[in-house]
Amino acid sequence: MMMAGISFIAALIRVMACRTVGWAWPTAASWWAMPTLQASTRPASSVSIPTTPLSSPPTLLHIFAPHFFAIPLLVFHLVLVSSARADEPPAIEEAPLTAADRDHWAFQPLARPAPPAVKNASWVRTPIDSFILAGLEHENLAPQPPADRATLLRRATIDLTGLPPDPADINAFLADRSPDAWERVIDRLLASPAYGERWAQHWLDLARFAESDGFEFDKVRPDAWRYRDWVIEALNADLPYDEFVQLQIAGDELLPGDRQAAAATGFLLAGPDMPDINSQDERRHNLLNEMTAAVGSVFLGLQIGCAQCHDHKYDPISQFDFYRLRAVFETAEYFQPQPLGRVMHESASPVSTSRLMVRGDFRRPGPKVSPGFPRIANPWNDSVAPPAEEDSSGRRAALARFLTRADHPLATRVIVNRLWQHHFGRGLVTTPSDLGVMGSWPAQPPLLDWLATELPRQGWSLKRMHRLLVTSTVYQQSSRPDFLSVSSRSGTRESSDNKFLFPGERLGEGASAQPGEGPSAQPDPPNNHESPSASLSRRNWTTASAADPDNQHWWRMNRRRLDGETIRDLMLAASDNLSPRRGGPGVMPPLPDEVAATLLKGQWKISLDEEDHRRRSIYLMARRNLRYPLFEAFDRPDALLSCPQRDRSTTAPQALILLNSDFALQQARRLAGYLYARAGNDQDAQITLCYLRVLSRSPTAKELADAREFLTAGAQRLQAENRSPDELALPEPRSADADFCQSAALVQFCLAMFNANEFVYVD
Amino acid sequence: MSSISRTPDPLAGNRREFLLRAGGGLGIVALASLLDEQGLLADQTAVVDAEQRKTADPLAAKSPHFAPRAKRVIYLFLHGGPSHVDLWDPKPDLIKYAGQPLPESFGAVMTRRKVAQNPLLPPVRPFRPRGQSGLEISDFLPELSGCADDLCVLRSCHGDSVNHPQSVYQLNTGSILMGRPSLGSWISYGLGSENRDMPAFLVLPDPGGGLKGGPPAWGSGYLPSVYQGTTMRTGASPILNLRPPAGITAGDQRAMLDWLRRQNARHHAARDFDDELAARVASYELAFRMQTAAPDMVDVSAETEETKRLYGIGDKETDEFGTRCLLARRLVERGVRFVQLYSGDTNGWDAHKNVEQNHGQLCRRIDKPVAGLLADLKRRGLWDDTLVVCGGEFGRMPMSEQGKGRDHNPWGYSVWLAGGGVRGGMAYGATDPVGLRAAEQPVHVHDLHATLLHLLGLDHTRLTFFHNGRDERLTDVAGNVVHDILA
Repeated sequence: MMMAGISFIAALIRVMACRTVGWAWPTAASWWAMPTLQASTRPASSVSIPTTPLSSPPTLLHIFAPHFFAIPLLVFHLVLVSSARADEPPAIEEAPLTAADRDHWAFQPLARPAPPAVKNASWVRTPIDSFILAGLEHENLAPQPPADRATLLRRATIDLTGLPPDPADINAFLADRSPDAWERVIDRLLASPAYGERWAQHWLDLARFAESDGFEFDKVRPDAWRYRDWVIEALNADLPYDEFVQLQIAGDELLPGDRQAAAATGFLLAGPDMPDINSQDERRHNLLNEMTAAVGSVFLGLQIGCAQCHDHKYDPISQFDFYRLRAVFETAEYFQPQPLGRVMHESASPVSTSRLMVRGDFRRPGPKVSPGFPRIANPWNDSVAPPAEEDSSGRRAALARFLTRADHPLATRVIVNRLWQHHFGRGLVTTPSDLGVMGSWPAQPPLLDWLATELPRQGWSLKRMHRLLVTSTVYQQSSRPDFLSVSSRSGTRESSDNKFLFPGERLGEGASAQPGEGPSAQPDPPNNHESPSASLSRRNWTTASAADPDNQHWWRMNRRRLDGETIRDLMLAASDNLSPRRGGPGVMPPLPDEVAATLLKGQWKISLDEEDHRRRSIYLMARRNLRYPLFEAFDRPDALLSCPQRDRSTTAPQALILLNSDFALQQARRLAGYLYARAGNDQDAQITLCYLRVLSRSPTAKELADAREFLTAGAQRLQAENRSPDELALPEPRSADADFCQSAALVQFCLAMFNANEFVYVD
Repeated sequence: MSSISRTPDPLAGNRREFLLRAGGGLGIVALASLLDEQGLLADQTAVVDAEQRKTADPLAAKSPHFAPRAKRVIYLFLHGGPSHVDLWDPKPDLIKYAGQPLPESFGAVMTRRKVAQNPLLPPVRPFRPRGQSGLEISDFLPELSGCADDLCVLRSCHGDSVNHPQSVYQLNTGSILMGRPSLGSWISYGLGSENRDMPAFLVLPDPGGGLKGGPPAWGSGYLPSVYQGTTMRTGASPILNLRPPAGITAGDQRAMLDWLRRQNARHHAARDFDDELAARVASYELAFRMQTAAPDMVDVSAETEETKRLYGIGDKETDEFGTRCLLARRLVERGVRFVQLYSGDTNGWDAHKNVEQNHGQLCRRIDKPVAGLLADLKRRGLWDDTLVVCGGEFGRMPMSEQGKGRDHNPWGYSVWLAGGGVRGGMAYGATDPVGLRAAEQPVHVHDLHATLLHLLGLDHTRLTFFHNGRDERLTDVAGNVVHDILA
């Protein structure tokens, strides 16, 4: 027993240490490591010790019902079982909020600032432009001129739909000189179903969405796709953002019997789960805490998860705040009615008592708490209706209303900032899910507030907000220095450039694409003869990049790297192979054996229908324990925590996957096959079409020459190597009358194009 | 150490901190020369500061907090939970009370399966004192018994979960939950890599696959993805997509890369020599070099027959693990920082049914290769600064399961260390008389991690990464270095 005592003290020290720094995941399972508490000497300490048996078996309520029940399955109650604890819960005090606590910018009420006056009023197209330009003028920075038309079209098309502009769209837009050409492009893109498929991915990152549980068995959630499809359809239907939020929090309560609304609550249960964990109390505790933390970060931009073990170290969020919010979910059952998957449903059973969990340990219930909202986010003291204790329903509906108040300083700021972030590459607040004290300050507080108040005024329409952002002059700025490209060319070329000309605009040039030449955005290397306009451009760029290298003031557009999903979709689209199929269970394209081998057997069953392998990336099976290699290499988040902004790494494995993977070669072969089908054996036409499909522009003269050189030299080399058709990667389908060495060289050119920096970046 | 303890906000977009994100075995050091070669450095607008790049390169070798005992790690992970009471932790009382239930004085025991009332099962093979130290090791491991004087067996390890995936995560990341950075990622983050052609952290999974918990066990969590483990295999294609696909030769690829370089240079020049674009150019050069470097690393044909025999290569039972052990030596020899080998497929060492049969087979597979690895490290001068770690996600219960098997036991088990900075021929700490719980000088997983970092010259309280408003650590808010085992 001596040894037992020592071990116990060590464990006690560990638990006490938890008080000293930040929050911690519930590691208190180390209690188990202790020898029996009953037998050990209990040292005098202020830390309370549970005296209840440590290994209470799961109650019947927590046992899964057998699969074969056709009726909706009650998987387990989200109710507390151990309410009959005999001992006193430890006294935990909650400090009242102070004026200093409320002083932080994000907790301030929303303002509705008037767009400021600017000197260069002709630059202003939307109120957004006034805010940004006022800032630039204050800093003495000149904004960049608009990007050329081809660049703009690629930017907006990928941004809004995740797909490349079709060559026909490119030509149409270049030729369209009508005053509202740009607006019509934006409307067309927003109306495309591809819009929902693109923006749903941003939301699914936040929702830590995957189609399996994670942990050992990583069991598939066969109906998880219904939530994914709900998000896509809601976005495409332009479901107002307030309803979009409300249904995800309380769809079952707000629209009883509506299956779509119930599917929306899949958000709450989308996180990882370990159904076979020993203690179902622990499982429920983990789920509730994870759900509560996700709601806080996604909808409020507060890292309230930090408060599950003790008061937030920096933000005015107490442990009580955390468990009050958690109590909102505690009356829910977690339901698995076929065929909706994991959705929420209110319990018919009596309301349980919600408690704070001491140090986040599921075995240590503390003081009782009533359902409520984090105080710092609730200046109105909104309460969770209904007041009657015995009625369990309506808690989540109350939360849903709370999270969609038009005057909510956090909830509105957080979503408009996310919109800005995805359009401009970086949020006005650069910590999009942390508007708290440790988050960054907004670059443009008045603009953020103007946007936050504009969203409800626009009927909470996200599409109208997209339109507002994308039609701004700020959005249309060039991301690269003018003087290094356009102006460095000879005078005759300058007028043929595809600068995006706005109606009645100061440039006043009726420039249009040369027939047959198409857009050409790429410069030849700079020369020594610089025009006066180029000289000004150089000065502006140099000044701004020295004064504001990080583009804090938005004097240019940010260049963005494509994510893995978009890279894949663009490759499929370029080779004209993208399947138009939408919705349904996640599909599984082939995986390299060595990757599949890291899973349990049978966890990646390749979809039988080959067309499914060519569907948009958002429809690929999202396994929690295995990210599709191309996506993982390009920083897809792991779906274990809500991800507000993806990492953007540059690694050698990315290069290897685009150079050497079967998928990349397959698309190169198909693209080459497409080029033969459309351009025949005309080498220049093949090259031009290849540029159009991969980079959404035509090649410059120099690029054309370089590509010809590559193809010619390549074909000669293959010929000299005496390689048989079997030893070459040939177009698919094969062109009957084409020389196979030339065909193989074209495949290699297509593969190289997919590896170009320009392909994976958007200017 | 500021570059280690604090990384700037990864969400902001400035150049310098982009460079912190760039990498993946990517040599930004090589970048300046690459740009120079292209004549791109001449332009005033290109902000190229080779020194800055060097420090900003996320995988550049970094100085530890203090003088390290070891510079690199080979971690032999025995997946499934090897039985400490049958391998490393002799318990005479278990023989004495064999067949009887666990005395009530041990109290309630949390188990994975319902084995708490089952009779105690004595060690299935005898233990004997070995070497000059007399360290007791079971007859299951005759070859490793010959290395007893080199081993430091931590007999009082304990963790927090009776479940495989949670414990696999805990041993690898410190947390029983999914998604936190792994030990190898933390070490790569803290120390960088000494081989610029390869990632710092390589994982050699069991070819049987099916690790319980999956790839998150070597994930980088909230650390930049450049620090995550890269899986590597033996054979011709050791890293995914390392070789050009069928129909594309190295010559074809060189031609593509040459065109790509020209195309990217034009693109780059028109974009003010954006560092991120330049880094991507460099990543292609590195990828090309990796294609040569990696196959060379795994090519054991250059090794002598004697060396191969040392590892048991050529013998049916030991060939596979022996080859991976030899590969591990070749990798650390070439500057890879952290190599993790998994032994055991989905079931692995999970001897619920029959310890004799399960451990008999798996011990035969690893015994000679591991002993060979230790001997080879010694004779090649790698011993003093290579730390070898061997253990599973937990141990096994003193009670029997299904007669001859044992259930999971995270409350007390053994992990052994050898090599750089560790005292050999010793056992540290102890479990209770039956091997159920860590009793003397307990070493929690956090303590083990703190100790491993300490051996590498890293202070576990200072190796932090700012994430979601908190300076995160491998050891969370716990961890004590076990100083008594330091040489």
